[in-house]
Amino acid sequence: MNQSLSFSYQLAIVLVMVVIGAIAGIYLPWYALGILFGLLAYILCIPTGRAFILGLVSGFLLWAISAYWMDGQHPSSLPGRMANLFPLGGSVIGLYVVTGVLGGLTGGLWAWAGAKLRFK
Amino acid sequence: MKYIKSIFPLALAIIWTYALHNSWGTLPPLGKLMSPFHGFWVNAEAPESSELSEENLQIPGLEKTVTVVYDEMGVPHVFAKNDHDLYVAQGYLTAKDRLWQMEFQTHFAGGRISEIVGEKGMVSDQFQRRMGAVYGAEKSFEGMKEDPKATETLLAYSDGVNAYIESLTERDYPLEYKLLNYAPEKWTPIKSALFLKNMSFVLASGTDDLKMTNILRKYGKAVAEDLFPNYPFVESPIIPVGTPRDFKPVPIPESPKDFIGLGSAMKTPEKDPNIGSNNWAVSGNKTVSGLPILANDPHLTLSLPSIWYQMQLVAPGVNVYGSTMPGTPNVIVGFNKNVAWGVTNVGSDILDWYQVKFKDASKAEYWHDGKWKKTTMRIEKFNIKGKESFVDTIFFTHHGPVVYLSHEKPFKSNIPVGHALRWIAHEKSQELTTFYKLNRAANYADYAQALTYYSAPAQNFIFASNQGDIALWVNGKFPLKSYTQGKYLLDGTDPKADWTGFIPQSHNPHAKNPVRGFLSSANQSSVDPSYPYYMGWQYAPSERGRRINERLEAMSKITMDSLRGLQNDNFNIRARTLLPLLMAKLKSPAGGVYAQAANELKRWNLQNATNSQGATIFENWVSLLHDAIWSDEFAADEKAPMNSPSMDRTIKMMQEEPNAVWWDNVKTKNKKENMEEIISASFKASVDTLVKKHGPIGSEWAWYKHKQTGVRHLIPGMDALSRLNIPTGGGGTIVNATTTKTGPSWRMIVELSKEGKPRAHGVYPGGQSGNPGSAHYDDLIDTWAKGELRSLLYLDKPEDATGRLRKKIILSIKK
Repeated sequence: MNQSLSFSYQLAIVLVMVVIGAIAGIYLPWYALGILFGLLAYILCIPTGRAFILGLVSGFLLWAISAYWMDGQHPSSLPGRMANLFPLGGSVIGLYVVTGVLGGLTGGLWAWAGAKLRFK
Repeated sequence: MKYIKSIFPLALAIIWTYALHNSWGTLPPLGKLMSPFHGFWVNAEAPESSELSEENLQIPGLEKTVTVVYDEMGVPHVFAKNDHDLYVAQGYLTAKDRLWQMEFQTHFAGGRISEIVGEKGMVSDQFQRRMGAVYGAEKSFEGMKEDPKATETLLAYSDGVNAYIESLTERDYPLEYKLLNYAPEKWTPIKSALFLKNMSFVLASGTDDLKMTNILRKYGKAVAEDLFPNYPFVESPIIPVGTPRDFKPVPIPESPKDFIGLGSAMKTPEKDPNIGSNNWAVSGNKTVSGLPILANDPHLTLSLPSIWYQMQLVAPGVNVYGSTMPGTPNVIVGFNKNVAWGVTNVGSDILDWYQVKFKDASKAEYWHDGKWKKTTMRIEKFNIKGKESFVDTIFFTHHGPVVYLSHEKPFKSNIPVGHALRWIAHEKSQELTTFYKLNRAANYADYAQALTYYSAPAQNFIFASNQGDIALWVNGKFPLKSYTQGKYLLDGTDPKADWTGFIPQSHNPHAKNPVRGFLSSANQSSVDPSYPYYMGWQYAPSERGRRINERLEAMSKITMDSLRGLQNDNFNIRARTLLPLLMAKLKSPAGGVYAQAANELKRWNLQNATNSQGATIFENWVSLLHDAIWSDEFAADEKAPMNSPSMDRTIKMMQEEPNAVWWDNVKTKNKKENMEEIISASFKASVDTLVKKHGPIGSEWAWYKHKQTGVRHLIPGMDALSRLNIPTGGGGTIVNATTTKTGPSWRMIVELSKEGKPRAHGVYPGGQSGNPGSAHYDDLIDTWAKGELRSLLYLDKPEDATGRLRKKIILSIKK
């Protein structure tokens, strides 16, 4: 349970999560991200001590980068408007961060839940 | 314990996800909304390139292939091989740009907003249904079904909308569905009827009968008729005075007995004095081209997405361009090869209230014509989001729904009292047939025939053809009334107070090719008092109409551009009369800012221009002055709301009745104010409020900064999706009728051509797309605010040499 993980192993987990999360995003409802991260944590036996942070980092990267990428592909005034609505004073960068945090917390919580079920 | 500990994170994750999957109060479902794969990020659209792109879409229900080309404004030009496919495509393409708006507006019209926003929508919903919105839509749908062509059109349109809805997955939903967390439902033809009926709510549901009755009860008939005359002192009626009459009037029904109904407080919609419109047509002998030019600008609440959606619809027998209303088939205001037409609202009295005497608390019977008659009941069910549904019973007399059951102290304690609503919007009607035929009209006879199908809301239909005709029909279904019938609440027991028939359509006020060479309307009185029928006592103030007629009279060698100038005319014709009267009586208090303001007014060129400071001072002063004169006598009692007399009447009093009792402020004891005092005090108050609001006199007093015109998203308070503080001049009584929330919602000018190649210009304050993530969401607002127009692309075939086309879509049959 307290086994230490190498950096490259952790990096690999993040990569797997990001890829699976992206595929799920394209085909499944938004919350599939969480459930799949939970499953991954369970199957890959990610230790409970690392699961939350790995899920969080993966979810954050996936959502923040995807948001950034979507905005780049389809430049429009919409993110600026949404950043006024929320309100983030119109800061689109703030909006990427908020998006990332929501994806991160969803990923983190579910990964933690999956790990916790494995290592009762 | 260990088990619970291991389950705890899972429970937390589930709660978190559930929280983010649902909306909480006004907070949207954050997970769904923010996901870059599902949420608003998906709604962003990159601006299109200037290269023509091509796309193929398969939609069910088509009979043949339809070709659609979009121009640089995002206007679809639709080329179909038959009517059916044309309207399938219209439904589909309109939904593609405006689905949320179409559904939201029909939900609103049908009293179903609480399904989306929960209990806070109930007040509006119940009011809509009590006023008979759904009942009226059902009746009008019955009428539409009597015309097989209209039925085909409606069904095809509906199929098109549904084809689009079915092509969507949740992540494709328009942004507003994601913000409010719901999904589009199937479109039905009755929704088109609801939308059309809602235009009667927007344009013809204002009612003053109750307020007038309160005045009658307090001050008596002599005062009521003196202060609220049945025809303005200064007027330039729509149908030119002296227009020959081509019909023999039918007998007028006998007047009901004088009746002082139960005055009380009742929630009825105010007449919005700023919702109106302008239109005119000038004949060829006044134009450079020698052919008529027609102009129209309907003034409505300015909103995003816009109420209008431009389209060109082409199929065998029709090639029409103009503004459509998302939710209904056909072009509503537009032109084709041979003719052009436009509309403004008619302010006739087509809504009356009847005091009902119920037999007992069951409300099963009511007294009419010396007998107890049965009421009918209509059950309305409200599905409220997050709440149990609510069932409401509406009682109908033969007049119509009893909108308001008295919860307050009744007139006589043993008789339950309410008012039944008689309203033209409850009549069976065939407006769709009118527009279907207008879209295909080739000459005056076609136009006049198309109008015979139209009921409500009554419109001044302006017309011009390339045969050189101009015409205007004040058109709709008008009850045949005795003089001033329905100015006050009516007695629901007296059969003589009933509507007994309608003015024959061919007797509706109309004029064709008048000697003066032009026709126009701006919601003012339809006719002068010599017209044989009574249509109503109160129309929009005459200023816009008078200014337009005065300009058109003076103008010659007219071009589209000179008419564009007239649409944007900011001249304050009211100030021309009123300002000298005021300045002559003004005893301005000494002191810097008052003298400065008075000087500013003396210097003012009477233009309500964008940056004018004089306009700000004048408009604010007049509004405070009107209050100062009338609010002590006519706004004193919240339980008995009253109208206050018009500016037309007020100016008359200033000119001829300087000693009228009304000048005195009855709220000041032991003091009798005179005209000079009231005028001077309101000037001082006006300057004081402006200083308080904008600081010392200067550029902050610019008219547009004071007026604050905004084009607001349909969801109240959604400033992030709105355009506010738009620099534009004008005003309520100005031809450029742009106010804080209302204004020209579509400006169009069309010059006809013998060769069937009309030239047209137009703009509306919005954009073709309803998607706030599209460059076409609000891209026309700046053009509109500057008073400029875009050239409208009228095509013969789906090709264009001018390079204005951006996108081509082939709609083909989905097997």
